[in-house]
Amino acid sequence: MMKSLVKRALAAVAVIAASSGIALADDFPSRPVQLMVAFPPGGSTDVGARIVASIAEKILGKPIVVLNKGGAGGQVGWTDMARQKPDGYYIGYINLPATNTVVLDPERKATFGVDAFVPIINQVLDPGIVWVRADSPYKTLKDLVDAAKKAPNTIRTATTGILGDDHLAILMLEEAAPGAIFRIVHLEGGAAQLKEIMGGHVDVAFDNVGSVAPRVRSGELRGLAVMDHQRSKFVPDVPTMKEVGYPTVISSSTRGIAAPKGLPQPVLKKLEEVLKKAMEDPEHVQKLESAGLAVKIMVGDEYARYYREIHEQAKKYTEWAKSRPHK
Amino acid sequence: MTQDNSPNGCAELIVLACLCAVFGIMAFIAFGYSLRDALGPGAGFFPFWLGTLGVVLSLALFVQSWRGRAIGEGTQALLPRGDRAWRAAALLAGLVAAALLLQPLGFRLAMLVFSVGLLLALGVRRPVAIAIFALASSFGLFHLFYHWLQVPLPIGLLGI
Amino acid sequence: MDMLQHLVSGFGAALSPAYLAYAFAGCMLGTLIGVLPGLGPAAGTAILIPLTFKLDPTGAIIMLSAIYYGAMYGGTITSVLINVPGEAASVITCIDGHQMARQGRAGTALGIAAIGSFVGGMVATIALVVVAPPLAQMALRFGPPEFFALMLFGLCLVSGLAGRSMLAALLMTVLGLLLAMIGIDPVRGAPRFAFDIPDLYDGIGFIAVVMGLFGISEILLAAEAPVRDVVRTKLSRLLPSREEWRRSLGAIGRGTGIGFALGLIPGIGAIVPTFMAYVAEKRLSKTPERFGQGAIEGVAAPESANNAYANAAMIPFLTLGIPSSPTIAVLMGAFIINGITPGPFLFQERPDLVWAVIASFFVGNVILLALNLPLVGLWAKLLHLPFQYLWVGVLLFCVVGAYSLQQSTFDVWVMIAFGIIGYVFRKVDLPLAPLVLGLILGPAIEKSLRTSLEMSAGDYSIFITRPLCLGLLIAAAAVLVGAALKLAPNALRRLSFSGIPVKSNEGGGP
Repeated sequence: MMKSLVKRALAAVAVIAASSGIALADDFPSRPVQLMVAFPPGGSTDVGARIVASIAEKILGKPIVVLNKGGAGGQVGWTDMARQKPDGYYIGYINLPATNTVVLDPERKATFGVDAFVPIINQVLDPGIVWVRADSPYKTLKDLVDAAKKAPNTIRTATTGILGDDHLAILMLEEAAPGAIFRIVHLEGGAAQLKEIMGGHVDVAFDNVGSVAPRVRSGELRGLAVMDHQRSKFVPDVPTMKEVGYPTVISSSTRGIAAPKGLPQPVLKKLEEVLKKAMEDPEHVQKLESAGLAVKIMVGDEYARYYREIHEQAKKYTEWAKSRPHK
Repeated sequence: MTQDNSPNGCAELIVLACLCAVFGIMAFIAFGYSLRDALGPGAGFFPFWLGTLGVVLSLALFVQSWRGRAIGEGTQALLPRGDRAWRAAALLAGLVAAALLLQPLGFRLAMLVFSVGLLLALGVRRPVAIAIFALASSFGLFHLFYHWLQVPLPIGLLGI
Repeated sequence: MDMLQHLVSGFGAALSPAYLAYAFAGCMLGTLIGVLPGLGPAAGTAILIPLTFKLDPTGAIIMLSAIYYGAMYGGTITSVLINVPGEAASVITCIDGHQMARQGRAGTALGIAAIGSFVGGMVATIALVVVAPPLAQMALRFGPPEFFALMLFGLCLVSGLAGRSMLAALLMTVLGLLLAMIGIDPVRGAPRFAFDIPDLYDGIGFIAVVMGLFGISEILLAAEAPVRDVVRTKLSRLLPSREEWRRSLGAIGRGTGIGFALGLIPGIGAIVPTFMAYVAEKRLSKTPERFGQGAIEGVAAPESANNAYANAAMIPFLTLGIPSSPTIAVLMGAFIINGITPGPFLFQERPDLVWAVIASFFVGNVILLALNLPLVGLWAKLLHLPFQYLWVGVLLFCVVGAYSLQQSTFDVWVMIAFGIIGYVFRKVDLPLAPLVLGLILGPAIEKSLRTSLEMSAGDYSIFITRPLCLGLLIAAAAVLVGAALKLAPNALRRLSFSGIPVKSNEGGGP
């Protein structure tokens, strides 16, 4: 009698749970998962996404389809993700600090805030790097900063986009080296930087290690400083900002996967587990490293904390960027 | 000396007037974005001047057309006559319906309805041919894009 | 002669059965991707990258490159047959190519496109072998100010696209330029004219607009006309007539030259060379009124330019490691995943790979020709389907294509809206080509102007102190003056006609 009562009670609970749409981790996923990349195909985020997707889907048991929703520096994709149902079937990449600046820049009129996403796992941490042509007169970062102080707003300094991590990094350097003012030129992407530097139309570029590592190693380009706590194994000869006297200039572009807020804990855990396993897979690490991207897995609280830290940092420099007299 | 109004003389005037309005509105909105900037033209500079230029040009063409000089050959009536008129309208209605149904019904069902509906509307009465065509274009295309090309197409509320 | 040796051994590798098969597969896939609307070569190539993980680096690159220039030709097929550009670069082919199809000469159009593409591709690849590094270096001198001047020059060429009414052409150009400004601006990085619709943040989507303007409007117009039976042609008519051959030769040569020159400059984009080649042909022709009515040069020139551009764009990529277009950027990603960094050192470090790839360009161009010429008859037959299936099929095709651009229904709506707009414009003879030109060049002009001013900290003299830039600006001005001079007598005459007293130098009054 007791047994059948318990059985019926359990059945009732199951029915209630099912009809209220709780995605129990057990039946997730029951169909393919979409992994959104907020940039056009071929970029480094996209490359990393496709690699991890092809490995993770075998572990997950259902296909993971990469969705490219590029445009507006990522705003289109993130706006889309913020609107999706938090059921685990639509997850996407967030690129810090790009995602943050979109939220923080009032002119962007972002329809989502910093809390719109729940971070799941970070994949790549690509530190910033300052680089010049191999035959440039600037042999060290000190040369560059001295020149910037001597002739403020003359040295043409390229970024990969307005309010990207490179832009903010330039401001960080200006803050750390008062008197140094760079003439900021916004280009679109690393390839444009390469073209303009090689053609002599700009003098120095701020970008990320992943974009230029092979060329710095081959000697075609010269790296002046890496904006990380330790040297990058991809460009071991390039000193860190700390070594050249500016320990506060730490900047990097991180790419990680997040979901719309409200994602149920069991689903979050499952995704975290699957993606972590995929990212730790040697094939994944090897493929990403051959593309110059350093795998840095962060999950749970660590990633959530990092997300907030970057947001605070970005806030400060975004406001400065908007009010800076020399645009 | 003005010519008789060409069949679409009226249409030309309407179109030009609409364009003039669009240009005017855009120029107005552009004025709200700053015209100047520390470095030069601001975000509103080009749209504003282009909008203004557009207003001028469309007015000029309007005046020209009013005086009887058509823009081009001026031979086509804007709205077709007779029973051919509804053919184009049917196609357009079908397109709009397809776009509306794409998300709720999902790609496969929406395209199925679309192709069957339009083929019937255009006078095709061969059920086998219609069935094959409709299935190929809905389920077939879906399979091609979704599974082979890895491009996700909408799956509707019914789960199809 | 060391280079010749390398090339020969490259051929040895490229012609090996495995690599030959990859090139073949790539050409086929590329053509298919080009035919499918919406799915551009960049997206298509990116999707196929994982396919190549299992191949060795050389094989992977051969296949991906084949997909790249295969897609260039694939786009032509739909442009000619159904007036829907398969990918952005094929827009201008729609103008004369589709007219030829309507006159029953689809086969001829496709045939000459295949041949023109072949010639363009081969010449560009030969040039790649012979003069690559110095040319690439020269092209680097094109910085943002030069870019600005070049795009401005391109805009001035709109006068060459004008039909009866220059005013209408100008109006359409302005409309195109204005529409292009919807989206993120290069000054603040914030959206313009987006009205808080996130889908508009990146602009209205060029391909969706063009599919609507050309493809949908074509179907709507066809639907209301009495049903024309597409003129049935015998197979022998699939080849161009003697007269057409003669005319095409010059067009192919000039198109190749223009496509090649512009392909060297990173960042131009595939559409600009096709427009310039078309306009150049029209300008140089003794009978320019044939353009827009099915002139074979209107197909031959852009198609040669297209493939010459695609192959020439490999030059800055292979020699300097600079990708010229999003598709090549994807290709570069593929290179990098396979552990290869394109650049000046590549020729020294991995000559075997580079020369095998270059040799496969030659092979690929031949394969494309061999693959597509025989199929031309087959494609042309598609037009003979009963019109109901054809129309519904095309519309379906367009819907799925528009959706697949960004997996968004918004693009489908944009396409439909511009289909109606295109229909209306065509009814009142407002020309579409200048609109497209404005749409393409608008962002480039504004962005390069902004970047130039950032470089010079607001100093406008940057445009005059750089010789290359100054030269291009003078050329642009010359084009404008030339067009104005041509029109002046007509304009004067019209003004006097309408009763406004005009002082005429030509003696005698109204």
